[in-house]
Amino acid sequence: MSIVWTSLAAALAVALPALATAWAQSKIGAAGAATLAEKPELSATVIILVAIPETMVILGFVVAVMILLGGGG
Amino acid sequence: MILPMSRIRILAPVGILPEVLERLQDFGRLHLASPAESADVLLMEPDRAQERHLRQLSRISDTLRSTLDRLERDPSLRLPAPTLPERAVLARRLRRARRVGRDVAREAERRRSLEEERALLARYRLYFSSFQALAEAATQWPDAAAYHVILPRERQRPVSLLREGLTKLLGDEFEMWTQELETGESAHLILVSRASDTRLEELFREARVEEIQLPGVERGLTPVQAIPRVVERLEAIPGALAEVATRMESLRASSRAALQETEIAVNDELERAGARGSVGLTDHAFVLEGWLPAGLLHDLERSLGERFGDLAVLEEVSRAEWAGEEVPVTLHNPRLFRPFELLVGILPLPTYGSIDPTPFLAVFFPMFFGVVLGDVGYGGVLAGAALLLRRNAVEGGVRQSVAEIAGACAAFTIIFGFLYGELFGDAGALLFGMRALALHREEALLPFLGLALAIGVVHTLLGLVLNLVTRLREGRRAALGPGVTLFMVVMVILAILAAVDVLPGAFFTPAVIMILVLFPVLVVVEGILGPTELVTTLGHILSYARVMAVGTASVMMAAAANRMVGTLGSVVVGSLFALLFHLVNFALGVFSPALHALRLHYVEFFGTFYSPGGTRYEPFGHWMPETHSPSREDA
Repeated sequence: MSIVWTSLAAALAVALPALATAWAQSKIGAAGAATLAEKPELSATVIILVAIPETMVILGFVVAVMILLGGGG
Repeated sequence: MILPMSRIRILAPVGILPEVLERLQDFGRLHLASPAESADVLLMEPDRAQERHLRQLSRISDTLRSTLDRLERDPSLRLPAPTLPERAVLARRLRRARRVGRDVAREAERRRSLEEERALLARYRLYFSSFQALAEAATQWPDAAAYHVILPRERQRPVSLLREGLTKLLGDEFEMWTQELETGESAHLILVSRASDTRLEELFREARVEEIQLPGVERGLTPVQAIPRVVERLEAIPGALAEVATRMESLRASSRAALQETEIAVNDELERAGARGSVGLTDHAFVLEGWLPAGLLHDLERSLGERFGDLAVLEEVSRAEWAGEEVPVTLHNPRLFRPFELLVGILPLPTYGSIDPTPFLAVFFPMFFGVVLGDVGYGGVLAGAALLLRRNAVEGGVRQSVAEIAGACAAFTIIFGFLYGELFGDAGALLFGMRALALHREEALLPFLGLALAIGVVHTLLGLVLNLVTRLREGRRAALGPGVTLFMVVMVILAILAAVDVLPGAFFTPAVIMILVLFPVLVVVEGILGPTELVTTLGHILSYARVMAVGTASVMMAAAANRMVGTLGSVVVGSLFALLFHLVNFALGVFSPALHALRLHYVEFFGTFYSPGGTRYEPFGHWMPETHSPSREDA
């Protein structure tokens, strides 16, 4: 049972930030596409901006790894 | 580094202003700046006649540009700076530019239309060839009208409808042959008696079916009659295209050099007219100020001295008279670091007096890339791609810079590949018994996380130190806040390391006491934003965990690719899938580390010290047709 809970916790630790990241990137991506239509020279800046919310899912992944390794899974 | 600049001032009699401007234009390194206006010094403004002359020159320049864009400039033509022709000559050249422009536009249009016709005829030739076989039947119907229809793949269904409609309309007074084409379309030949053709055309309109029509071939011809015409036309087009090319070449030979020379002369004059706007005038003299790379001060002094002797006086403006924000910025780095100026160039230029981050980016960017991708195989493939990209690249161009950055990333990827013992994931270990020299990433996740955070600590602390150095240039008081922040970050890191037993526990209490003591100092020096900045900085360090996360994802995908060889039954199919998967992983593995390494620099590292907003160094010089960015030093 403990393995089930550990796995579930690890899955949630990745899944929830992944959803949040996806939502944030969808908003930034849409705004970025509109920006690029007017100023194509900002493409590098837009790519960086789109990548910024990835921190959430990356930290979620790290937490998931720590849960799996430390939770006896 | 940011090239040190000197502000200079030139004083000379008004009479020699045109010659001085020409000399400065030849020198080509002075970034002009307007002198401060006062009761004695007024900025020069063009009178009405000059304004009219400039408007005329602008129009000539536009006409020349448009003509030469069509004619294609000769890049090998390196003219000595020509003088502006007299008005009569200029007017003649303008008329010639207009005439040549019209001729070139006509020839370009003719070439476009011939190429379009050739493509169209080649396509319809295939269609008509398919009708030729069908058309033999048409000879049995001497008094019939022939209709040729091509239906695209997505409209195959209406064929049956077409036949039904034809039967309903014409009974059995028609013949229809169908042939499938290689392109997926279907060709149809419909023969009907002349008496029924009006009704058939109505049916085509209703079904929205169009009969094909060849360009340059009359309507109503049978395929047997049309095909020779198509072949004849196709054979004639290359000759017509060669004639167009010959006429274009003749236009180039007769006019290009003269027009290019005039274009340079006119635009040089316009540049000088623009420079006059930065000239200050006194009753008898003029004052010209500007910025110059400090090392070139004596060169300019010598150049002016040789030409004007004591008439023109050049002096260096004292440092106390100007502020850092006004100074134009140009980056100058060793050859090894120069390609990375491309990555710094994505952001606004740093302000004068701040730190050029290029050398740090040149070291850390490929290193981060290597830490994330860390695979001998992928590094080798990337090195090959970099070499391919480097071949035939223009010296100093974007392609060369990208190739050299990729090369540095490949080198670090191979180094870390050996440290991790990875060659296309675990293929190296499985096939050649390759072993990790330092860290086996697939298993040692926590040590890898520790490595990522340690890199974050070093990188962020370096950023804070650079910030401290920049602020120290402004004075000790300005440096107090960054100093306290830096010290507190170090204390927080020591306390955490002591708490998790990486450092002896004895460090913990003194570190916490120092944090508590320094906290109010930070609030007093930096305000309420100080503690916020401190927490943000600690968050930035945690953000370096992405190095581990993206790296682990990369190695896991490579391992998954290798597992395919054994799990898909057939070794051949498994190997093909593994290869495909490795290809996808390589593409992701190049894109993702590059993006995250850039982000760690732009957001986390630059955020601590980078001061954007520098003015681009744009020296006054001779006009050039290509866009040239002089703010990055070439020398």
